[in-house]
Amino acid sequence: MIKIVKRDQPSRAIFFFTPVLAIFLTLVAGGLIFFILGFKPFEALKFFFIVPIADKYGFSELLLKATPLCLIAIGLSFCFKSNNWNIGAEGQLTFGAIVSGGVALLFYEQEGFYILPIVILAGAIGGMLYASIPAILKTYFNTNEILVSLMLVYVSKLILDYLVVGPWSNPEGFNFPETRQFSDSAKLPLLFEGLRIHAGIFLALAAVVISWFVFYKTYLGFQMKVSGFSLKTAKYAGYKGKKMIILVFLISGACAGLAGVGEITGPIGQLHREISPDYGFTAIIVAFLGRLHPVGIIFASLVVAITYLGAETAQIFMQIPKYTGQVFQGMILFFLLASDYLLFFKIKFIGSKK
Amino acid sequence: MNTNLKISNVTKIYPGCVANDNVSLEFNSGKIYALLGENGAGKSTLVKILSGVIIPDEGNIYLNENNLKLNSPLDAKKNDIGMVFQHFNLFETLSVFENLIIDSDEERESLREKIDTIMKKYNFSIDLDIPVLNLSAGQKQKVEIIRCLIRSPKVLIMDEPTSVLTEQETSELFLSLKKFSEEGILIIYITHKLKEVMQLCDEVAVMRRGKLVSVSEIKNENIESLANKMVGQNLKTIKKKKAKTSSDQLIKITNLNFTSEDPFETNLMDINFSVNRGECLGIAGISGNGQSELFQVLSGEIISEKNSIEFNKNYIGDLNPQERREYLMAFSPEDRLEQAAIPQMKIFENVALNNFKSSNFFNNGLINENKIKEHSKKIISDFNVNTDNIELKSQFLSGGNLQKLIIGRELITSPDLLICFNPTWGLDVGAINYIHETLIKINEQNKSIILISTDTDELLKLSDKISVIHKGKLSKIMNAEEVTSEKLGILMGGAN
Repeated sequence: MIKIVKRDQPSRAIFFFTPVLAIFLTLVAGGLIFFILGFKPFEALKFFFIVPIADKYGFSELLLKATPLCLIAIGLSFCFKSNNWNIGAEGQLTFGAIVSGGVALLFYEQEGFYILPIVILAGAIGGMLYASIPAILKTYFNTNEILVSLMLVYVSKLILDYLVVGPWSNPEGFNFPETRQFSDSAKLPLLFEGLRIHAGIFLALAAVVISWFVFYKTYLGFQMKVSGFSLKTAKYAGYKGKKMIILVFLISGACAGLAGVGEITGPIGQLHREISPDYGFTAIIVAFLGRLHPVGIIFASLVVAITYLGAETAQIFMQIPKYTGQVFQGMILFFLLASDYLLFFKIKFIGSKK
Repeated sequence: MNTNLKISNVTKIYPGCVANDNVSLEFNSGKIYALLGENGAGKSTLVKILSGVIIPDEGNIYLNENNLKLNSPLDAKKNDIGMVFQHFNLFETLSVFENLIIDSDEERESLREKIDTIMKKYNFSIDLDIPVLNLSAGQKQKVEIIRCLIRSPKVLIMDEPTSVLTEQETSELFLSLKKFSEEGILIIYITHKLKEVMQLCDEVAVMRRGKLVSVSEIKNENIESLANKMVGQNLKTIKKKKAKTSSDQLIKITNLNFTSEDPFETNLMDINFSVNRGECLGIAGISGNGQSELFQVLSGEIISEKNSIEFNKNYIGDLNPQERREYLMAFSPEDRLEQAAIPQMKIFENVALNNFKSSNFFNNGLINENKIKEHSKKIISDFNVNTDNIELKSQFLSGGNLQKLIIGRELITSPDLLICFNPTWGLDVGAINYIHETLIKINEQNKSIILISTDTDELLKLSDKISVIHKGKLSKIMNAEEVTSEKLGILMGGAN
């Protein structure tokens, strides 16, 4: 007989085990889906998860995809840890990209070491500005940040659309919805000849280290932790709640904005319509899969990045739509939430006595 | 018909604690039984087993020789066991009548008749068509009782029923319970209040640490003997010394008002009082009459007009709790687990919640863990918190130890004023004594206390002056010697 028993306290071992379990279950379910579609499950999973990263180029692509995911998820973990539900990182990414792209275009055909830092900074500021909208509406008008931040995603995408089709479109671009190419000084340097991985990865790694330090060593991190557990306690302790809400939104917006900078100043080198395959939304899954822990987020971003690559290889070799990648991302989140049940309950197998 | 309820060798083990250790008890109708014990003694577990909420690991329940299998509260209801929990299970926004019929399949018309008969029989007067949120605690409890009576139960279990009642409501309840008992309903009354046991019950079973320690007739017991059985040691009674009369005013509240946007909160109207150094001002009242709002206004969780609160010659009405702490105020909120402390965090992290500049817990925005830990160790030893591991998550502390930690955290800064709200709520006798002694001690050190409490005995024991809060208004402030619990009860009920 199987019996479900409530745990006395959430188990710490299980806390780190459930993400692994969720990934395993995703693989099983994914294999099952492939089987139903008429593919050999193991072969399909191999195409999905192993082939894409089997060579140097593939590995560089993996890091390329993981970089924005990691960066955004780190930013989001500031919000989520302190009970603020910023769902609009995709919008903050887009707006950051717009601002930094605009600045990069200002330096069109100019060279100079100072250009790149200004472009990067502009992206961070753009993301912060955009994230400050839901933050200010939440603190001063009591709006729901989930709705506001989510809806602003679509606003930012339409602004981008308008700019690349209209005022910022490349005059020599045959009406393609894209801007001019940025000058080399406005682009993040590539790390290796022939590979697309660029210096943006250092931004992500810096974010990991800084966030670890803030979470575990600073007063701000402590206040975030307290607010995450109980807003009532935070109020009783006298923490300035409004200030903190705005601060975590700004941090999260800056990270998303930087991810946007990485996308446009990296391999692409221009603004166009689709700068992000929903990194901002997928990063929410990454943040939770990584347990809002900086190191966990690194691993989670790598795992989730594979689903992007796998979807592409599967499309090429197996003629499966690339949206399978999103199916896998969805399954990871689904199984993670489901296996989190084990945090609070345990399953007991009872031998049939008598 | 005679009802016989037998609990036979019931054991319930939780990981790390034996909640019921081979408990056997027998009850017969016609008598009122008290189940007495400290918090955590196992009475709630036993009662939950009787009402089908918890399934025991071992043992059986017999009702009139029938072995009952109680796998859910519904099973208990079907077997004529009714239960009124300490915390009401009512839908506040539904009407009384809707609440009463919600778990019944009978026709509305016939139920209404039935309810009318019950109300008439026991002299209950409640308007069936108003929403429950408009009822007083005593009336809500009556609704719960009626809900049981509809099913004409053989057994009625009352879990700590008087914790939210005034003196008057309590005596009304006792009359009703006696009437039920005369009519053949077996009454089991769970409490830790000894006075009530002596007043109401015929037999008393005492539990301690999961075990049944004694079953006896009330006439052979007195308050001291029962208390000693409950605690398992001889209690020393503490008495407050008469306070030195001081005229040095510490805090003065003038024309303080608070209007809430939340319909479930109470508005505070024209609050005026002052407290002198070395004095304890008790604020009595039935819970939900504005105590929580008053606490928040005093602690700074709710900010008011600057001039409405004068503390040590500074106007501080517009400061938040952290800023008020710098003026040497300290706060101990009612809710230990959701507000005063965070159970998932370690003891020393909880200590850091009371952050004041001179403590240097946080330097330049960085956590100074050594300083916090050093400080935590001092609190633990000075305030008798029963652990030596400050890395322990505070959820593993018992209620009493957690409260000692909280009070210790607030007092170790030697504040001029401690504001506490139900500081001993839900604690066992030992911990209550310790907290009371601590509070008396700080008064003797010429520090002041504002004690907001729903426990009248506690207020009478500790206060120098007492006021009563009712519907957000304070009564006039009385000298504690002139006040009796009866008088407080009348004021708590809203009369003048």
